[in-house]
Amino acid sequence: MSLFKTREWWSTSVGEAEEFDHGCLCIANIDNDVNGTDKIILGSYHGILRIYNPRPQKTESGWSGYSPEDVVLEQAFQLPILQVEAGRFSSGSENLVLAILHPRKLSVYSISAIAGTVAHGSQYKCEGLYEHTLQRTAYKFCYGPFGGVKGKDFVCVQSMDGTLSIFEQESFAFSRFLPGALLPGPIKYVPRLDSFVTVSSSWQVECYKYQVLAVASDSAGKDESQNIRSGKRVTFDWCFDTGEQALDIAVITFPQAPPSILVLGERNIFCLTETGKLRYMKKLEYDPSCFHPYASLSEGTINYMVGTYTKSLLIYQDVTLKWAAKMEHIPVQVQVANFKDLKSCTVTLSDSGHLECVYLGTDPAITVPPQVDSRELNYSKMDAEMAQLQRKIKEKGHKAVITPHRKTDEDLQLNVHISPNLDDMSLATGIDIPNEDSVPSVSIRIQLKSRLLIDNVKVEIHTPWPLATNQSDYIIPSIEPNTPAELFVSVFQRDNSLAAHLYVQISASYKSATGGSRIITARASLPSRLVLKPVLPVKSAIHKLTIDTNKPPVNLNDIFPDLLGENAGGPGAALGFQFFGGPVVTVLASKTSQRYRLQCDRLEAMWIPLRELVSRLNQHFNRGKYGDFKVSFDGSLPLQEYFELVDAHFECRMGASKCLDMLDQRASQFRVIQKRLLTRFKDKTPTPLQNLDTLLEGTFRQILALGDAVEQNQMAQAVSANNLSSGTYLLNFLIRLWTDMTDDEFKVLENSISPVISDSTEQGWQEMTDAAVTHLLRTVLAKSAKDAAVNPSPLAIPSDTGKVKKHIALLCDRLGKGARLVEGLSEKKERTIRMPTPQTIVEDQEDQSMSGDTTAVDNVLNTHYRDKSKKKKRHGKSRNVDDLAPLGLPVLDRPNAGLNELVDAKSQKIRSMVPDLDDMTMDDSPVVNGNKEQNGERADQPFAL
Amino acid sequence: MDPLFLAYSYFRRRKFKECTDICTTLLEKNPYDQAAWTLKTRALTGQVYVDEVDVDEEGIAEMVMDDNAIANVSRPGTSLRKPGTSGQAGPSPGVRPTSQSGRPLSGFVRPGTQGGRPGTMEQAIRTPRTAHTARPVTSSSGRFVRLGTASMLSTPDGPFINLARLNFSKYAARPNLAKALFEYIFHHENDIRNALELAALATEACQFKDWWWKVQLAKCYYRLGMYRDSEKQLKSALKHQDMVDIFLYLGKVYVRLDQPLTAVEMYKQGLEKFPGETTLLTGIARIHEGLTEMDKAVKFYKDVLHFDNMHVEAIACIATHHFYTDQPEVALKYYRRLLQMGVYNAELFNNLGLCCFYAQQYDMTLTCFERALSLADDQTLADVWFNIGHVALGICDHNLAYQCFRLTLASNNDHAEAYNNLGVLELKRGHVEARLAFQEFLLISERRPAGHRPTLGSVGTRTYEPTKSVAVRFL
Repeated sequence: MSLFKTREWWSTSVGEAEEFDHGCLCIANIDNDVNGTDKIILGSYHGILRIYNPRPQKTESGWSGYSPEDVVLEQAFQLPILQVEAGRFSSGSENLVLAILHPRKLSVYSISAIAGTVAHGSQYKCEGLYEHTLQRTAYKFCYGPFGGVKGKDFVCVQSMDGTLSIFEQESFAFSRFLPGALLPGPIKYVPRLDSFVTVSSSWQVECYKYQVLAVASDSAGKDESQNIRSGKRVTFDWCFDTGEQALDIAVITFPQAPPSILVLGERNIFCLTETGKLRYMKKLEYDPSCFHPYASLSEGTINYMVGTYTKSLLIYQDVTLKWAAKMEHIPVQVQVANFKDLKSCTVTLSDSGHLECVYLGTDPAITVPPQVDSRELNYSKMDAEMAQLQRKIKEKGHKAVITPHRKTDEDLQLNVHISPNLDDMSLATGIDIPNEDSVPSVSIRIQLKSRLLIDNVKVEIHTPWPLATNQSDYIIPSIEPNTPAELFVSVFQRDNSLAAHLYVQISASYKSATGGSRIITARASLPSRLVLKPVLPVKSAIHKLTIDTNKPPVNLNDIFPDLLGENAGGPGAALGFQFFGGPVVTVLASKTSQRYRLQCDRLEAMWIPLRELVSRLNQHFNRGKYGDFKVSFDGSLPLQEYFELVDAHFECRMGASKCLDMLDQRASQFRVIQKRLLTRFKDKTPTPLQNLDTLLEGTFRQILALGDAVEQNQMAQAVSANNLSSGTYLLNFLIRLWTDMTDDEFKVLENSISPVISDSTEQGWQEMTDAAVTHLLRTVLAKSAKDAAVNPSPLAIPSDTGKVKKHIALLCDRLGKGARLVEGLSEKKERTIRMPTPQTIVEDQEDQSMSGDTTAVDNVLNTHYRDKSKKKKRHGKSRNVDDLAPLGLPVLDRPNAGLNELVDAKSQKIRSMVPDLDDMTMDDSPVVNGNKEQNGERADQPFAL
Repeated sequence: MDPLFLAYSYFRRRKFKECTDICTTLLEKNPYDQAAWTLKTRALTGQVYVDEVDVDEEGIAEMVMDDNAIANVSRPGTSLRKPGTSGQAGPSPGVRPTSQSGRPLSGFVRPGTQGGRPGTMEQAIRTPRTAHTARPVTSSSGRFVRLGTASMLSTPDGPFINLARLNFSKYAARPNLAKALFEYIFHHENDIRNALELAALATEACQFKDWWWKVQLAKCYYRLGMYRDSEKQLKSALKHQDMVDIFLYLGKVYVRLDQPLTAVEMYKQGLEKFPGETTLLTGIARIHEGLTEMDKAVKFYKDVLHFDNMHVEAIACIATHHFYTDQPEVALKYYRRLLQMGVYNAELFNNLGLCCFYAQQYDMTLTCFERALSLADDQTLADVWFNIGHVALGICDHNLAYQCFRLTLASNNDHAEAYNNLGVLELKRGHVEARLAFQEFLLISERRPAGHRPTLGSVGTRTYEPTKSVAVRFL
């Protein structure tokens, strides 16, 4: 990140595929030119020494750049060059000579210029002065007037194992181990202190006095050799812990600045005093590659430049960033040189040998963004195109773009065939029904046909609980176009509950040719023999339903040929069916009138037999499409019993939510205790647990018990949901028969009072049904504007089922009065209402929150009274309704509250209209008798409503 | 050429791969070569090194099961959890978008700026995590594990050092080996327990005199969630040696302990020792930003620029501040500076476009957005289209706005604001039903943690105005 970039003055690319690192670049007036201009000395790891003297010419288009004459000297050595330095290494003169470090050799050369005779200039010569062979692999060397000698530079070679070898020019002085050396760090000589500073492997800056090193020999008098194996442990003068390895060290000797040592770490720059105290530090937010302090421009500060791996050159004055310039390469070494035409030029060297002499300029570092292709803009054309596109968008806009459009034709076809006969050998497994040894099973054949080759088809078979299959999902590796795959599955009842319906759903998912996931489903109806078995008819039952038809009665033996069992050969007027592990349902056919009756102890159990009966009757009479057979229901809706189912289910839900609340509470208690225990265990000083562990265990047990309770409750809820579902199917069916609904209307009804019970923790059947029914009451069934204004209640679990029951009763009432569920149909004539439940209405009196509904309920009440009075008039038992004051006694307290009237009315009616049913031996139900008794009682309190 | 020398040279030039390879061959020849061993540890560490000061990923468990909170109800302006209580005058949240936790969106994306704090554990667990808003359950399972496994992949023969068989006390006594080993365990292996054990032994071995080991102990404690122990170690380290890093770590610990004011105090102490240290100044500015004290934050960001005028974060945050305080021209200058400095991404062009638009330099607006679109990736594309939609709303081209919001949804179907604005547009067209449909979508996408995209106002009211949301972010 930089605003500016370095401006190139002169640059060249050195060598091909040669490597350079820190130390390979040296700037010095190596040929001791009288002008004092610096030369660039470069040694590569490939052993080639090059000396440049950049002399670019200023032309109109900037600097002329590199020319071959700039190369002063190029010489190849056999050995890699690790470091080049210029210093006064020659004993004979005080001129600068060149020291070159090879892995095992230190050589010193003098470079001299011989003035040429022709115009081409001078000729340079490289003469070897002396060399030392090194015993250890060298790493770096530093030089300086060790021991304070004047006009001479001694050399200190640092080897890879951290040994220092001191060479006093032509002669070897001594070798010393540095303590704890593992990998060598940068080393520099501080002339003022006559010491070496280095950064050791312990990541601290250490300062060793030359004196200390010199005298720390094992045995005085013995000749020093490079090849030492052991030595006295030398101690450092001072150390400073930087906490990181250093890349470079620089000793500051600028006159304006206080003498200090700058250390470039991997993440920080430290400035230390000569006694090892921190002057300042700067945390770097990038990876530095090299640095070079170049001057002290104002009193007491140090200016230095840092090269980074983000390809920028940063100039700092102490900790303040003064300048940042972008570079072309990552520098491994930066130096400052004075050339003939340019003083204080920055010389940088990159890893791959890119040598640059640059200066800082205010040229912006323009990152030229790639041109967005600009065309000649033709606005009229663009407008036309835009308009066209807009039109297209508008056309397509109505089809939701957000939901992708789907193809209709499927690649895969799913055919389901249910075998007409039960399996000879039942394949049922894992049956959990008390009192039943075996249940029948039926085979389903699923055939998958495809037009293309389809891989990995997943087939799932979903049966309504308690029905189950022997295998519910299959994976078909591939289906070829001509050979359809076939699966055989057996369905049977596994658990002890009533099935709500007998549809099996099969879905197959696959990847279409376009790569999209596709699912196709099929639905098939299972035979009722799967859940029913024929038994002898039972005379008495609590609940009875009578349906009317418009055709003479038929022998039941004819329409239930497969479910006769022991009744085969009987008169065909009564059949009994029993659910596996469930109640017995008895079907009766009147001999004379066109009526059929179902009776059972449980209302919800009648659904499947009723459906079976109606569909078989339909089949029997309506052969062909133009049959005029019609079924109707003229009895009273069994709302009261239905509401008991609603209540039972609701209780389970309440139980579930209570259990979950408790579980939630216990779980958070558990966590709190855990947390407390944890803090105690974490405590350094142990404290007594104060029975927290007992509490923890107790809570844990409670959680386990609650978990069991939740599970049990879930089971109970599933059963009650199934019952409710059956009941809802039954109720909807009866309403349909009762009001003679069209299919459209029935669909609305089924969607409102849905037989699909799906309970989640957040929403359940009661509130959803309530909302749906309220919506119907507010819209299509609204009588006045007042009705329409009622606000829907929130979809939260209600405190009781009063509202939903009231609303369902209201719905039935309005439907009974001829209201239609689909707008546009003509009003039907009012039907007599037999059964608005008294219980609901009593609850309604408690709940006066909805004023709009009370009037509606009053209507129900009144209708009810009206109907009753009419009926009673018809029966000759005239009684004045208005004379009687409503009773205060809560009807809820009475057993069979309100039920009796209904049963009474029903039984009377049935008796009057279906006399022959009485003749049948099984009709003398005690309930009816009881009703008679209670009728007398009812005279005292006839209007419990 | 000596292979060890070459490896060391590669290491210096940050060519860690080559360095590791050479060290591996060296170690095959001589498994007891300590120099090669150390170099390899350091090279492997260098590959994955991230400055621990910058790493701040707070997982759900850390947030919720935080037993270090001092007070449940903090005094106004003293907590980062309930920002905006300081009563400082800043732009209202109606103008400047806020993150889910209520902090204003920063001008610079860094770890920890995007998350919000869920109230309870239950809420946190129930919050669905989408790809956009994935928050690790604990910090040790999120990002750190990824770092660990990444390093495992690079060494198919298994880990370089078998930590289970390491005799820590032996290594702890040798500072030249131990420090590199510690960094390897901490950064490369990400095995905090072992790192802690080594650090504890090492600090004992040097008679508790080395500040470096104390800082490392503090780092381990911090990772393990033992902030008070971490604080203790850092304070002790400070007695030996003043270091910038120590102050930064202390500040970090106090932020995690939700004591922003103490953290600022710590940073200020650091500034007394190291005047002009930009990292410390930035730390203060970030805290003020988190506390919605925008004026103070900007003041410190300006101080940062005084010492480092190339500081991208400072420039971006100041620019964002100016943008949201209705000075788009000034913001534009800062953003242009960023552009000149070489920041070149979709976010910047997007912001430039918005600044141009609000500064009424219409000729540049669309060009900037074109650039932004060409540079945007999937994540930012939605935001860019959303902002173009706003520009279209500004010039009353409702058709274009509609298309833009549709395109927003095409690139990110989770974009609550776009649903909302489409709803408003549909309402304007008189399509109440369609508007309701969008409102529904809005509710669905709102239920998820919105992450960086804030919505303003309350959902469900009819006077729900389109939001101004700018993705002012740099990576």
